[in-house]
Amino acid sequence: MGRAAHSSSSSIDSSSHPDLLLPVPAGSSSSSSLSQKINGNYGNSHINTRTDLSTDLRLGLSISPSHHSDLSSTSTPGEEALINWPPIKSILRSRLAGKADHPSLFVKVYMEGIPIGRKLNLFAHDGYAALISTLSLMFKATILCPEENHVHSDKYHVLTYEDKEGDWMLVGDVPWEIFLTTVKRLKITRADRC
Amino acid sequence: MLKMANSFPEEVLEHVFSFIQSDSDRNSISMVCKSWYEIERWCRRRIFIGNCYAVSPRMMIRRFPDIRSIELKGKPHFADFNLVPEGWGGYVHPWIAAMADAYPWLEEIKLKRMVVTDETLELIAKSFKNFNLLVLSSCEGFSTDGLAAIAANCRNLRELDLHESDVEDLSGHWLSHFPDTYTSLVSLNIACLGSEFSFSSLERLVGRCPNLKSLRLNRAVPLDRLANLLHRAPQLVELGTGACSAELRPDLFSNLAGSLSGCKELKSLSGFWDVVPAYLPAIYSICSGLTSLNLSYAIIPSPDLIKLVSQCPNLQRLWVLDYIEDVGLDALAVSCKDLRELRVFPSDPFVVEPNVSLTEQGLISVSEGCPKLQSVLYFCRQMSNDALITIARNQPNFTCFRLCIIEPRTPDYITLEPLDVGFGAIVEHCKDLRRLSVSGLLTDRAFEYIGTHGKKLEMLSLAFAGDSDLGLHYVLSGCENLRKLEIRDCPFGDKALLANAAKLETMRSLWMSSCSVSYGACKLLGQKLPRLNVEVIDERGHPESRPESCPVEKLYIYRSVAGPRFDMPGFVWTMDEDSAVRVT
Repeated sequence: MGRAAHSSSSSIDSSSHPDLLLPVPAGSSSSSSLSQKINGNYGNSHINTRTDLSTDLRLGLSISPSHHSDLSSTSTPGEEALINWPPIKSILRSRLAGKADHPSLFVKVYMEGIPIGRKLNLFAHDGYAALISTLSLMFKATILCPEENHVHSDKYHVLTYEDKEGDWMLVGDVPWEIFLTTVKRLKITRADRC
Repeated sequence: MLKMANSFPEEVLEHVFSFIQSDSDRNSISMVCKSWYEIERWCRRRIFIGNCYAVSPRMMIRRFPDIRSIELKGKPHFADFNLVPEGWGGYVHPWIAAMADAYPWLEEIKLKRMVVTDETLELIAKSFKNFNLLVLSSCEGFSTDGLAAIAANCRNLRELDLHESDVEDLSGHWLSHFPDTYTSLVSLNIACLGSEFSFSSLERLVGRCPNLKSLRLNRAVPLDRLANLLHRAPQLVELGTGACSAELRPDLFSNLAGSLSGCKELKSLSGFWDVVPAYLPAIYSICSGLTSLNLSYAIIPSPDLIKLVSQCPNLQRLWVLDYIEDVGLDALAVSCKDLRELRVFPSDPFVVEPNVSLTEQGLISVSEGCPKLQSVLYFCRQMSNDALITIARNQPNFTCFRLCIIEPRTPDYITLEPLDVGFGAIVEHCKDLRRLSVSGLLTDRAFEYIGTHGKKLEMLSLAFAGDSDLGLHYVLSGCENLRKLEIRDCPFGDKALLANAAKLETMRSLWMSSCSVSYGACKLLGQKLPRLNVEVIDERGHPESRPESCPVEKLYIYRSVAGPRFDMPGFVWTMDEDSAVRVT
């Protein structure tokens, strides 16, 4: 669903996947006799995997300095990775965000079916389109924009919000600025449930 | 010697044990022999459980039949920084329900990072006759209705502390549920609440509790109410003010200054939300007695902070925003020779460009000027190896050193080298270091230093650091006393983890998120080490739907004598023996 969804794992996949173990690319982060050993074990009958791990490890342990210069490829933090950085408690974070020069409005976002909650700064978005694109990346879901035709399908999601009165409304029903004054929390719901 | 000890009557040993307060000493006692184990368990009154999933309430109750005070922790520490998804767990209700039956004389409950519901609070309120202390630190899930039940029913309550909890604020009326006959309050911390409450109830409550020593108010308490409250409680030792944002009015100022100067015992101040710096001189009269000052919610320019700290010669703890700047820390180093703990938080953490002049220099000054400094949490934007070496040499007494350079992987700004040598100096010189957080550009070499020298290290936090499994291997194989290790966005994976699997059984927990640990390795760990709970947290769906070599999003491993937990949400999978067999 976009760059952030894939960026964290691609280079690691290719180097540690059993089928790709040999030849090991120079500078890869997870090339070792140990990982071969472990992956090899899975190929055998499961009785073999029940041998003593410590023996396996003693035998297989050959951790040695790898010439890993390719920092950026394995660990470039996507925007997603930096969402919760630097490590500041949310109570101080929201306090700081409340200052005049960088106003912010944190609300909790939930997604139906998965009890994942995230906090999101609405003031970091300039309108519904930006908000929905952030949430699509964050929750890896296809969220329909308010102006799009409402499709009843389990493939698509819509964004709803609870307003100050406690009513759940479809996001987009009022202008963005008014939305900001009334929204209490957000919920991503499957389109076919609406 | 042992023989003699065994011949003592049980009552004598029990009496001796009652003088031994520390948890680790009590644990040692119970390891001496069977009879000591028995005697100790019957007379244990306080218990600390660092992970609510490490043991079950039933097991605790079976071993310790007469507990009066419990401290219990739930979610991993990284939950503080929003890394643990909502709904992960840490529910306290099963514990309270079990204790309600088993421990009718329970007096104290301290919870950290746990989910507490209103039903749980109601159960606490009605179950324990002598209940007197409730600390909910970074907890969530409850509302002011639950607090009302506590206020209405706990007649002996001494302390109610909602330290940084996320409370659903339905109304401020809960405070008026303390009965008129209730007078036992010693400590009240409601700084995290948002809503206004009835000030007259608060004033009456404060007025009728002669032993009130600590009062931490929330932002909704305006400045003009503070003076009234203080007049009623001149015995206060600790005060958290409300908002101090009123326009400067001479009458308000003199009223506040007058009431504060009446509080001769005050040692600790916090709050100061939205403070207008012109009000700060109102506290000067009590500054000489202050040992603790938390200004992390107060936006105060450096010149005003300098005037303030220079009035506080006995300060031991200062929490402050980076508005203090290097010049302010210079002044601190000159004035506060007794300083033990310093925390400097970033005022604008989400931008790379510095908005204030706070660098490594400020920390150097404090490390030079404050010989008793032991604990530091410092956010800044630049650091150098030379600075870290100087700091380490100045201050070998550090027990806690947490440095956060805001931009990940920032090198030494002078040499552009990694900060390996600098952090190496910290672990080498500070022999008593218990807690360390590192940041900036670090290679595996830094972890070699940490593994080699960090012999007393108990908690280590890593982010955006290291370059291979070797880094993690150094830490796990070297840090003998490591109990908690938390890692995010580091290229550490299967090799290091599997090679040091047995080490994990000696630790309380390991957190790894956005690292390179494969699902296959997680399964293997869970299968081979049945005393560990290996939990994969993955919001992309079941890990089986991806190749086994695919890295998991988040991994939380902890030892447990209770087995896998039963309250896992849909995005958590536990790697037990069965799942491993099933898959292979």
